[in-house]
Parts: sequence; C-alpha cells; structure tokens
Amino acid sequence: MISKRTQTSLKRELRSNPIAILGVVLFMSLVIGALFAPILAPHDPTRQYSTENHQAPIGFGSEDQRTVLIDGEIQTIASDNRGTLTHVLGTDANGRDLFSRALYGARTSLMVALAAMSISLLLGTATGLTSGYYGGRTDSITMRLVDIVLAFPALLMALALFGILGPMTIWIPDPLVTSGLVSDRPASVPFPGTVTIAISSVIWVWIARVARAEALSVKNEEYITAARTMGMSDFQIIRRHVLPNCLTPILVLGTVQLATIIILESSLSFLGFSGTTLSLGFDIAQGRSYLGTSWWIASIPGVFIVAAVVGINLIGDWLRDALDPDIQGGGA
Amino acid sequence: MSTLAEFIARRLAQGVLVVWGVVTTVFLLRFLSPTNPAVLIAPEDATAETIRRIEEDLGLNEPITVQYLDFMFRAVQGDLGFSYASNTAVTSRIIGSLPATLELAFASLVFAIAISIPLGIVSAKYRGSKIDYGSNLISLGGLSTPNFWLAIMMVLVLSVQFGLFPTSGRPFGPTENLSSWIAHMVLPTIALGTYFMALLFRMTRNGVIEESGKEYVTAARGKGLPEPLITYRYILQNSLAPVVTVAGLQLGVLIGGSVVVEAVFAWPGIGSMFIRALNSADWPILQGVLIVVGTGYVLINIIVDVINAQLNPQVALS
Repeated sequence: MISKRTQTSLKRELRSNPIAILGVVLFMSLVIGALFAPILAPHDPTRQYSTENHQAPIGFGSEDQRTVLIDGEIQTIASDNRGTLTHVLGTDANGRDLFSRALYGARTSLMVALAAMSISLLLGTATGLTSGYYGGRTDSITMRLVDIVLAFPALLMALALFGILGPMTIWIPDPLVTSGLVSDRPASVPFPGTVTIAISSVIWVWIARVARAEALSVKNEEYITAARTMGMSDFQIIRRHVLPNCLTPILVLGTVQLATIIILESSLSFLGFSGTTLSLGFDIAQGRSYLGTSWWIASIPGVFIVAAVVGINLIGDWLRDALDPDIQGGGA
Repeated sequence: MSTLAEFIARRLAQGVLVVWGVVTTVFLLRFLSPTNPAVLIAPEDATAETIRRIEEDLGLNEPITVQYLDFMFRAVQGDLGFSYASNTAVTSRIIGSLPATLELAFASLVFAIAISIPLGIVSAKYRGSKIDYGSNLISLGGLSTPNFWLAIMMVLVLSVQFGLFPTSGRPFGPTENLSSWIAHMVLPTIALGTYFMALLFRMTRNGVIEESGKEYVTAARGKGLPEPLITYRYILQNSLAPVVTVAGLQLGVLIGGSVVVEAVFAWPGIGSMFIRALNSADWPILQGVLIVVGTGYVLINIIVDVINAQLNPQVALS
C-alpha cells in the first residue's frame, strides 16, 4: 500500500530529523513496556505491600518521619519512606508498585488506542470514501450526520455513551502468563470495552471528514474515469483506486488521533468511568488525595501518559513533514 | 455583499438542520439508557403500582413518537424537563451553572490567543532561533499533556508547595470579590487553555511561514512597503483564516475539557453538573447539557465561518 517513494522520503526525513527518532524511541519503548508488562514489571500491579505504602521513588523520601492522611486527618508517624530498588518509582497509598502499575496502565491505554483506532479507521474510511466518491445526496446526508456527531464535544459524548452502556470489561487472558513464562502476575488483563466503543464513536467522524475530502479530490482524476470506462464496479474503483490514493493523509490523521484517544481514555478513567482500575488515569485520580504527602502517586502515571503522547505527536510531525510537501519543514 | 448574505442564510439553514439532529440524538440517547427513570424517582420501598403511576406521569408509557414530538416541542420552547434527582427545572439549573463555565472557557480562550498568536508570529519570523525552539517545545508539551494532570501538577507545585493559589472552588463571582475570583480562576484557566494555546501557536506559526513564502509578499517587499505592514496587514490576515476555522472546530475540545478541569477544581459549572448527573443517571440534566453545548457549538461555528468569509471573500463563493 505504501509506495517506494513514500518509504524513501520517510527514511530520509527520519535520518535528518533526530527529534523524529526521539519520538519513535519514546513510543516504541512504551509499546514494548506495555506488551511485555508481565515480564518487565517488577511486581504484580494489584498486589498491596501494606507495610511499604507511600514509599517515594528512588532518590526521594525521608528517613525519620512522614505525614499521612488517616481518616481525613493529617498524622505524623515515624518511618522510613526513602525510595528503594524494590520499588524504583515508589508505591501508592495501598503499597502497590507504581512502576508496575504504570506499565499495566500503559497496556490498557495502548489496547484501547489500537482497538478504537482500528474501528474508527474502518468506519471513517468506508463512510468518507463512499460519501466523497458518490457525492450528491449520499454525501450531504452523511456529512450532516458527521456534523451532528461533531457538534458534541468528544469527551461529553463518550461520557454519555458510557452512561448508557455501563462498564463492559472484557478479561483477556495474558498469553505471557498462561503460557507459564511468568507467574505471580495477573492471569488476564482487563480490556475496557465500553471506553473503546465510546471513543470510537466520536473519533471516526474526523477520519470520515478527511477521507471524504481526499475522495472528492481524486474522484475526477483521469485514472478513475478510465477505470469506470473499463467497466469496473464502484466498489472495485473505491477499493483499488480511490483508497490507495487517499491512504496517506488518512493514516497521518490516524496517527495523530492516537494521541487524542490516549488522552480521552485517561480522562474517562480519571473521572471514574472506565471499568478498570489498571489505568493511568485511575491512578492519577487516586493520587489526588495525597498531594500534600506523597506527590509521586499522581505524578508518575502522568509522566507515562505525556511520554506516550509526546512520542505519538513527534511521529505525527515526522509523517507530515515527510509526506506532505505543502508544509515541508513547517512543523515543529 | 449579497453573496455574503446568501452564505450566512445557507449556513443558518444547515445549522438548524444540525441542531435538529443534535436534539434528536440526545432524545434517542435517553431512550437507549437502560435505567428506568420512574424507579429512580420513586422511593426505595415503592410498589409496582407507584412506579407505574410515575411512569404515566412522565409519559413513559406513550409511544416513542409521541414522546419524541413532546420532547421536541418542549425543547424548542426552552423547556428541557425536570431533573430526576432534584425535581428542579433543567433549564434553570443550566442557566445557573452556565456563567461559571462560560467565564472559564472565555478566560482560557483569551489566555490561549494572547500567548499563541504573538508567539507564533515571532517564532515564524525567527525560525530556528532559541525563541522558536523554546516555544515549539512548550507547544509540544501543551499538546501532549492531559489537562487534568496539568491541573493536578499545578495544584501540587503552586498551591500545595508554595501556597500561591487556592486549590479549588469558586466561592465568589467577579462582582462579589474580584481578587478572590481572579485567584481561583488562574489555575483552571491555564489548565484548560494550554492545549488550545499550543494548537493555535502551531497553526499561526505554520500559517505565517507558508504565507511568507508567497509571491505577493515578495512583491510587497519589492515595492518597498514597510515590514510591519507586510507582516500584520498581509501575512497575518491571510494566515489567520485557517487558524480561525480550526479554533472553531476544536472548540469542542475546550468545552469537553472543561468537564475534566471543572471536576479537578470543583468549579461549579455545567461540567461538574454533568458528571454528578452521570453518576446518578439523571438523564434530563445530561440531555439538557448536551443540547445546550451542541447548539452552542453549531452557532459558534456559523459565526466562525462568517468571520472567515469576511477575512477571505473566496470562502463565501465556494
């Protein structure tokens, strides 16, 4: 699907652009961290080491005493909460290892991102290309529909859909654990189904808009007319000629929208509408109660979100710079 | 001028259609929700008979078409029904909470524009300079940071550590206690406006760079026109049209974002109201907020299009 020339220009841009490499490295390390979370995480993300709670990340914390919020009252107890190698990024209020939780949380984010993006790409591309290719009444009806979905802020709509569907969590067996490669880790991981559906239903319209615009711009090209004269069916023309010629901008937008999806997912779980507790947004919400005493609980998961989104945005810039001659060198 | 009037009329007609779609969608959403409002309203020990009576009262036993027409008819008149949880009129609840949200959204917009546009111009003019590098970095950070986390980090550093700003709430309106109001506004405004600022900065910078390379700019320079005139009168005006369009389209992000930011700061706006209503399945409130926000979005985008048509008359003709 991706032409030789496109590949060359992508590679050239990547070589001359160290920032793009940084993006790829950032994103890939999170993908690997999430994919192999059971192996890479030093602890079970749900296990509570109750005697080691509120432990600071390595290099932080103090030796003598700490203040803790117990039953809504701030109390000072004597203890040592300095960071240790056992919990490199510290522990939360229940003594769960934050690094392990962050890896598993990143897993949830990326699973949702991948699933929601696949659904949006399929739905958006199919609708957009059909709408743009046929034009006329099909086009105006579809586009008004898109306008209606766009009129609702994505987060509000996703929340409302969550309110209708309720949490639907699908437990997916973890192949790394079931195969016996690692033990002591959760045997299955929660996949927040409702979050995925809710996010897909607001993201596909953006893909549809771009797909339609691209289809409009190629539909009167000579090769389309030629294909039509040769007696190809509309479906074949869309699949063989329109789609490949519209794919690049759609994929670039898809990449950029991954960032939006990750932020939406974390916002939903932050607000308590996700159906899983293994999520970066959920951990940030938990950490809010301990800002005065254990700053790291809310901070650490956020750093992972920002890293993932920065990575995606840098990759998006790289793709745009390499593929869109109009704004060559214009992006950051 | 007549083309502009025609353009506005056409956009308004489209807008009415979309708003109708918005109201219809919102009606259907409630219909799809599995909770029975009558059960929510009824006391816990209510008999089946009581629940049936409440259903009748609410008109829930009517066919869907009757309910739909009734809903439409009321909505057009500005009657959005009654909250299940508190039995208060949704319209007056929204009118009560809207100012807090609007002032936050407006402040964020001003914050975003005031920083992004000048910075975008400077960045484009001095491409590759330290200022350009720095502002691109900030913009990347702004685009990549979830607003609720940014909010919490600001509370952590500026409120908890240094005690500079209050952590949450909006105890006074601007007319009651101006300094308290401003102090409470600062963090929510930055939290909500940062993404928008980053976005507008990028658009402005790219737009100015793109326009600066065009022939009319070279021609204007050749004619010896003063540089500020070229920058502000020609380049900026032409590069602002896409900025305004995207700003309008992305306004949903700002309004959606205010839900999370309001939740973090316990800001008494429609966002906080929405979350509370979601937790208690109070659908009339949810519907009301969605209708108001959706309609507002459509209206603002019509205004944006009209502004654009004025900035660039070619738009109206296409």
